[in-house]
Amino acid sequence: MEEKILICEDSLEGIFTAVYQAYAWRLDKEHVFLQIGEEENLRLFAEYITVAPEPEKAEKVASTVIRMMGEEGYWDLCCMLASNDREKGQAVYRTIVTALKNGQGRNVLSNVKEPYIQKAFEIARNVNYEIHHMYGFLRFAELENGILYAKIGPKNNIATLLAPHFADRFPLENFMIHDAGRQIYVLHPAKKGCFVVTGKECEELCLPEYSKEELYFQSLFVEFCHTIAIKERENLKLQRNMLPLRFQEFMVEMGKK
Amino acid sequence: MDYKICEDMTIEEKLTILTDAAKYDVACTSSGVDRSNGKTGMGNAVKAGICHSFSSDGRCISLLKILFTNECIYDCKYCLNRSSNDIKRASFTPDEVCTLTMEFYRRNYIEGLFLSSGILYNPTFTMELIYQTVYKLRNVHRFYGYIHVKAIPGAAPEVIQKTGFLVDRMSVNLELPTAEGLSRLAPNKSRKTILAPMRQIQTGITRNKNELALYRNAPQFVSGGQSSQLIVGATAENDYQIMSVAEGLYQKFELKRVFYSAYVQVNQDKELPALPGGPPLLREHRLYQADFLMRYYGFKAGELLSEERPNFNVFLDPKADWAVRHLEQFPVEVNRADYGTLLRVPGIGVKSAKRIVQARKNARLGFEELKKIGVVLKRALYFITCDGKMMYRTKLEEDYIVRNLTYVKEKLPVEVGAVRYEQLNLFDMEQDTSITYGQISKMDTKALYG
Repeated sequence: MEEKILICEDSLEGIFTAVYQAYAWRLDKEHVFLQIGEEENLRLFAEYITVAPEPEKAEKVASTVIRMMGEEGYWDLCCMLASNDREKGQAVYRTIVTALKNGQGRNVLSNVKEPYIQKAFEIARNVNYEIHHMYGFLRFAELENGILYAKIGPKNNIATLLAPHFADRFPLENFMIHDAGRQIYVLHPAKKGCFVVTGKECEELCLPEYSKEELYFQSLFVEFCHTIAIKERENLKLQRNMLPLRFQEFMVEMGKK
Repeated sequence: MDYKICEDMTIEEKLTILTDAAKYDVACTSSGVDRSNGKTGMGNAVKAGICHSFSSDGRCISLLKILFTNECIYDCKYCLNRSSNDIKRASFTPDEVCTLTMEFYRRNYIEGLFLSSGILYNPTFTMELIYQTVYKLRNVHRFYGYIHVKAIPGAAPEVIQKTGFLVDRMSVNLELPTAEGLSRLAPNKSRKTILAPMRQIQTGITRNKNELALYRNAPQFVSGGQSSQLIVGATAENDYQIMSVAEGLYQKFELKRVFYSAYVQVNQDKELPALPGGPPLLREHRLYQADFLMRYYGFKAGELLSEERPNFNVFLDPKADWAVRHLEQFPVEVNRADYGTLLRVPGIGVKSAKRIVQARKNARLGFEELKKIGVVLKRALYFITCDGKMMYRTKLEEDYIVRNLTYVKEKLPVEVGAVRYEQLNLFDMEQDTSITYGQISKMDTKALYG
């Protein structure tokens, strides 16, 4: 049977719409592949269909996923969607198919025999790890107007997934998380919900200087980190294992000294 | 309130002095409490705990770990802050601690506060200062992050009690494994005064659990549990004694955690050992491994060590060491064995054991799947079968397995153990074919067990 390859946009809406279409067109699940963006090498004997994102269809898939896989399963899927892995589209699709087919949606990721579920599990775990790292390693700096500003450079597109944690932690603060590589801003006005600003709109955002006290507290913390180390136990390799260099770039206490 | 504040000292200087004085305290965990913010203040707590940074010794920085004051009326021989040491002394005010905590927390530098203290004037006075600080943080600054404080032995029970309702974790340091060691090195402290607050906190936690079962909104008392810390290597106790003490603390005092701190030589004293090789880090590492075996893997101290073998094997981790001495219980069939049995297999940890139990509901597991689940096969392969088959043709023989397990490098902290493995390479079979298997294993086990 001819393989069908659905080309979709790299976003939650894009991928979920493609999943919706795969069901709506009653395609044979074993011969459908989800692909994100164009690929250079085209496959012979395969039909390529481009699927444009449609919010209503994506919404339907999302609510089915939450019903069948629970909030936690949905979170795992969101993690997969944020991944920078090229095969994530297919992983998400196969996870949903397996979850709906077996009716054991909540445990779908423990199904290790299925290769794409295995892949999905790895992707989700990977992104979850990065999120958890970022909970700790993200650094805010206070700007002149009192806004807390954090610049990050994660491998995966996790800026939006970080928002719930920090919004719960700092409900009374105005803060923004800036993914420097992707030019995505997550903004949180005090006592309100978060929203995301991307693309062109960001260029207009111009950041004010640090507040007067900011450098003072930065220096206090640098001093603290320096003093807390026991020099008889120095172990820079262990430090680097626990705190990979790609995070250190954005952390005040690393770098200097 | 009146106590010696060094008015002329800046916060920076105080922070440096009081961080330096607090650094030997091990606990820096922020786990075990899940608390959402009620939209009225700052902070929450995450069950898994969050590490915010790592210092150059590779230890996690999760909490702002400081002493309230390093002035101390006690003269414990192993402690940097002993009263007879001529060092710079400083004290924070409660407001200073609050400012530091809040400003660090806002910038996501830390997960909360870990406040300990030297004994200023008397234990109750010191505990009262800690209480005031924590009270301000919770009620004036509306801080909902993680707080860990020391309960000062000898302080009035009422002060400890009211502090307990404000914090997530309390700890009382046992300091030394035996009462005899304690009286020799810490003449002002006694086992009795240390255990009294520990018991008080335990009772408080139990009573609070019952209250919470009845009234869901009752105030929580030390909801993250209590912990303690032992110094390893300052006195002559063996590993078996230390593990037995730890086991006692877990069973009789229901502690959440016991921490082990390799003794770092900060003072010169005739009562203290000289440590030319630096702090006993490998020993500390083995103790932590065994501690996890007791807490998560269902081992008892008496299974891992005994009067005849009172110290851990330098070459093998305690679990592998136990397994090779109990080969009659192996191999284990992965597709059938219960969770507890799986946990006892070297190379299978808590996470992979759980995943195995979950995954085998869907399909029979082979070695390929185990690898994906995260089982460390190079350790586990000697002890497991999948559908009745072992991974390779291996012998179920102590010498053989010990040799192979020590040949596979164990992941140790870099500063410990590496040299010894280099030495073992002398016995590498590929390089020296003139020695037969049997001879090697005898030589190896001799080297191992002495």
